[in-house]
Amino acid sequence: MTQKNRIQSGGRVDRARALSFKFNGKSYQGLQGDTVASALLANGVNVVARSFKYSRPRGIISAGAEEPNAVLQMGATEATQVPNVRATQQELFDGLVCNSTNGWPNVDFDVMGIAAKVGGSMLTPGFYYKTFMYPQSMWSTYEKFIRKAAGLGRSPRENDPDSYDHIHQHADVVVVGAGPAGLSAALSAARSGARVIIADEQSEFGGSLLHSRENINGEPAADWVQKAIAELATFPDVMMLPRSTVNGYHDHNFLTIHQRCADHLSDKAPQGQIRQRLHRVRAKWVVLATGAHERPLVFANNDVPGCMLASAVSTYINRYGVVPGKNLVLMTTNDHAYQTALDWADAGRKVVAIVDTRPNPEGDLVEDAKRRGLHIITGSAVIEAHGGKRVNAVSVASINENGESVTGKISRLQCDTLASSGGWSPVVHLSCHTASRPAWNDEAVGFVPGATIQNQLTAGGINASYGLGDCLKEGTAAGNEAAMNAGYDVSATAPELKVEAISEGAPMALFHVPHSRPTSRAPKQFVDFQNDVTAAGIELATREGFESIEHVKRYTAMGFGTDQGKLGNINGMAIAAKSMNKTIPETGTTVYRPNYTPVSFGAIAGRHCKELFDPKRFSAMHKWHSENGALFEDVGQWKRPWYYPKPGESMQDTLDRECKSTRESVGILDASTLGKIDIQGKDAREFLGRVYTNPWAKLAVGKCRYGLMCGEDGMVFDDGVTSCLAENHFLMTTTTGGAAHVLEWLEIYHQTEWPELEVFFNTVTDHWSTMTISGPNSRKLLSEICDDIDLDKDTFRFMDLREGTVADVPARVYRISFTGELSYEINVQANYGLYVWEKLFEHGAKYNLTPYGTETMHVLRAEKGFIIAGQDTDGSLHPYDLGMGWCVSVKKPFSFIGKRGMAREDCVKPNRKQLVGLKTKDPLTVIPEGSQAVLDPTQPIPMTMLGHVTSSYYSANLGHSIAMGLVRGGLDRMGEAVFYPQPDGSVIEAEICSPVFLDPEGERQNV
Amino acid sequence: MSDSTASNVESIAQMDQLPHKTGSLQPRAESPLYHADLATLSAHSADAGGVEIKEVKLLGHLVLRGSIEDAEFLSGVKEVLGLDLPGPLQSSLQGEFIAYWVSPNEWLVLVPGQQAFQLERDMRSAMSGNFAIVNVSGGQTVICLSGANAVDVLKKSTPYDVHNKNFPVGKVVTSVFAKTQALIFRSGPESWELIVRRSFSDYVWLWLQDACIEYGLVIKD
Repeated sequence: MTQKNRIQSGGRVDRARALSFKFNGKSYQGLQGDTVASALLANGVNVVARSFKYSRPRGIISAGAEEPNAVLQMGATEATQVPNVRATQQELFDGLVCNSTNGWPNVDFDVMGIAAKVGGSMLTPGFYYKTFMYPQSMWSTYEKFIRKAAGLGRSPRENDPDSYDHIHQHADVVVVGAGPAGLSAALSAARSGARVIIADEQSEFGGSLLHSRENINGEPAADWVQKAIAELATFPDVMMLPRSTVNGYHDHNFLTIHQRCADHLSDKAPQGQIRQRLHRVRAKWVVLATGAHERPLVFANNDVPGCMLASAVSTYINRYGVVPGKNLVLMTTNDHAYQTALDWADAGRKVVAIVDTRPNPEGDLVEDAKRRGLHIITGSAVIEAHGGKRVNAVSVASINENGESVTGKISRLQCDTLASSGGWSPVVHLSCHTASRPAWNDEAVGFVPGATIQNQLTAGGINASYGLGDCLKEGTAAGNEAAMNAGYDVSATAPELKVEAISEGAPMALFHVPHSRPTSRAPKQFVDFQNDVTAAGIELATREGFESIEHVKRYTAMGFGTDQGKLGNINGMAIAAKSMNKTIPETGTTVYRPNYTPVSFGAIAGRHCKELFDPKRFSAMHKWHSENGALFEDVGQWKRPWYYPKPGESMQDTLDRECKSTRESVGILDASTLGKIDIQGKDAREFLGRVYTNPWAKLAVGKCRYGLMCGEDGMVFDDGVTSCLAENHFLMTTTTGGAAHVLEWLEIYHQTEWPELEVFFNTVTDHWSTMTISGPNSRKLLSEICDDIDLDKDTFRFMDLREGTVADVPARVYRISFTGELSYEINVQANYGLYVWEKLFEHGAKYNLTPYGTETMHVLRAEKGFIIAGQDTDGSLHPYDLGMGWCVSVKKPFSFIGKRGMAREDCVKPNRKQLVGLKTKDPLTVIPEGSQAVLDPTQPIPMTMLGHVTSSYYSANLGHSIAMGLVRGGLDRMGEAVFYPQPDGSVIEAEICSPVFLDPEGERQNV
Repeated sequence: MSDSTASNVESIAQMDQLPHKTGSLQPRAESPLYHADLATLSAHSADAGGVEIKEVKLLGHLVLRGSIEDAEFLSGVKEVLGLDLPGPLQSSLQGEFIAYWVSPNEWLVLVPGQQAFQLERDMRSAMSGNFAIVNVSGGQTVICLSGANAVDVLKKSTPYDVHNKNFPVGKVVTSVFAKTQALIFRSGPESWELIVRRSFSDYVWLWLQDACIEYGLVIKD
């Protein structure tokens, strides 16, 4: 297919570089510098999509971010699929593959088109709510088909091969938009020495100047753009970001900029390159120079392909060298759009007529058009377009002065393109992201930014200042002001830019073109193309009582599409206002929210995915664990060995082996992950007494003690052993997952409640490697590689600590136990952790030294009835509930955190849930953790539940299952039966018992 | 439990944590990035690139806690290390010693690994009152980042503003680094040091390698 609409010269495309691409399976040619949209238009492709609800053929309407129809699915392979690509923004590259998203099975023949013809009249606003919601059970079925037919695009089913990342930026001035206002703002700010970021969504800076025919300082505007870019490039602190959409403007002048680094190069980013980057920008001042979007006019059949925005037609001609048709009719409410007819005529194609809705247009461009003999029909409008897949004619009629009714005879003009302009809507989106409401400007017929509390300035089109001279002036002023506010000297003045003024007549405020028939009877007049919202639909919504514009939006779905109603919202609000006899400012706008245009999930995730999704924390011995077959369990961010299966073992086999070898000989656990807090200061001991429930005043140097920590509410949140290293020096241990919180807790109490206490807390979790050897042979093992500590049972006793060397490495050895066995916890500086661990194994073979992980640790401690904070506790249990009243000292002279809380009325009432042991009637049955306890298993549902099982295992050492759980009043129910109904209908019976299943006298750890 | 040379020394457990065997009997020390095997990687690494990475291993890391208003604390440090403790976000260098400000009552001092114990003893002897010294040498490591694009890698990793105007040479901050934290020190116009915790060092290493791909990474041993 040839590029039949490409003109021989002009535009910013490179005619020497032809590119091939595929659209809906067909191959086409475009040029370097094209967008997909300009290439499709060059090839005369009329239909790019089918509409959402009525399945009507749709064509390209705009040349920018506001495009509602040409929203494509892009990607040559499954893995590189990208939905919601606006053809008007996507640059063409060789080999690009794209497809229509709307229109299944294809855009030219569409099954929904037939359905719509049958059912079209019933597809009114609120149709989905009214029809498909009942019966509710069917909604999922309806939804599947509606979504498929609606064609919202799809994500790839394979992993995206590209990289996306985030980068943090800081700037004195961020300029959004690189049109005339933005460029001049960036220049003036940059000249002051300020750190400037200027971002623009297009491939090139220049904005409207890229297709303008105006001059600056007597030179073509595009030349000035090149000079401005060159000057900006000379400042080291200026960052220029083309292809970068400022998508969100958040609190505290934080902006998110979505940069498409490689989307214009190929289907998949070149090796080593980032595809898209999200800039997270903190700006002192922001200059919004976002320009304006042209508004189409709403008239009958205004969606027939060939109906386009006037400015878009000019853009395609002047920037891309594409004239999207042969015979043009232009309808306008303003002078500006006359330029489109002039451009069309200059391209050598026929201007059938300019239909101006104003009775007496006057201005420089109008005069130009008259001089050139263009046919101008005043006081009239195109009330209806004709054609199926392309406009072939339009109906024109005179209208009254306020544009509310057709006053004359209808005549028909033959044409294939209808450009329309209803004036301009400033792009106030970003300004509104900050919760600023836009203000209506009557003269400019549009909303402009309202008051803002952020450090924000605006310049150019966003202020409804559309003259080139005004844009440049406002930009320069805003750039200066922003730099000055950010603390820079802006006294140096730059030469003023000279622009020839163009005089323009006043525009007419017209949004909805009248038809000879009432709106509800006329052919469809589309307001929101992406969601098929019509003028009649909006009128119906207001008649049905939806008077708030937010309700109208939700009832009709206006502005809900991926285009967020950029094109149609203002027209829709105007139609709603008129229908309710209100003014537009009274009706107001809906709320504009981030993101301005769709952002891919890849850019949102950045590098925080796969291996880098969350930090994995490793102990110094991790390599050994993985080389020795450990499987790992996540404990917080730590990877802890879970168990070490040998070939052929089931998990239970492994646990049985690990548990037995530990109790029969010796096992070893990597306990490095437990939190360790170094506490120094003369008030360290006093502080411990206030944060633990038990007493610390008399703990001697060289001794260790178990402690419970409670919140103010008296509920247990952490526990651990704290050792007295010296009179003013303690080492606290915490649970692995609770370490950071405990340190924070100590700091908060120190800094806010007891700053007079002289004490310092420092984490040493990562500094010490901790290995626990446990079992009857642990002393023998230790004695082989430790000759400077007297290990005699009566000298180095249970709950003592000693300093010495283990395998020639200085170590602190704590004789503490979480298994109930004779245990030594060896701590060495972590750089020597693996060395000492390996030495233990060198000597441990003869004792069958067995590494065990968290699962065996859980079983061994449960045999002894030791709790795990966070597993057996859940923030609702105080020490007495846990049967650990022995760990609370009410006699301490100063109070302790939780003392008052655990004495509250509710905490001392009888029949609280209490932690008990559970012995199943069938010794081999392991009650699933979480099972609910009931007294009467025959009670009908809902049953009276008494608590749940918190820990449950099979104990190979005991030869039966063991469990701990909460039972109401459980401590007084020893020996009673309790029942655990299971999802399969079975019931497990257990007897309430002491949670200490093994060695209640504690003899094994005192040997 | 420990040697005592002054009253403060008695009430605090000081411990020489480094082994004293030499030669073949010397226990093997493994820095936090030991298993990343930077030595082998550096042999295969490109000669030139936008970022160069090196681990400075097995230094002595001492955390000092005390008050900036405590003259004895400041003079004690000065007497032993020969440096003035720096003010907020500053560092001070004296020979082989460098002190970084960490928080209003906290500094990190890096010294040659073998000297850490003696320096701690000397400081404890030189001061009394309310202060703390904690040896954390096994718990963290230093990663040097240099080259023209080092600053870009930092921008990907921390929300803190690392521009010259806000982060001149000699400045130090402790801030968010990817999904963990790091002490970030600017040691030269194009060189930086990161001090990260041992258990997070593999994550940081993976993160840095990934962040450097587009600039070209040179690994030094």
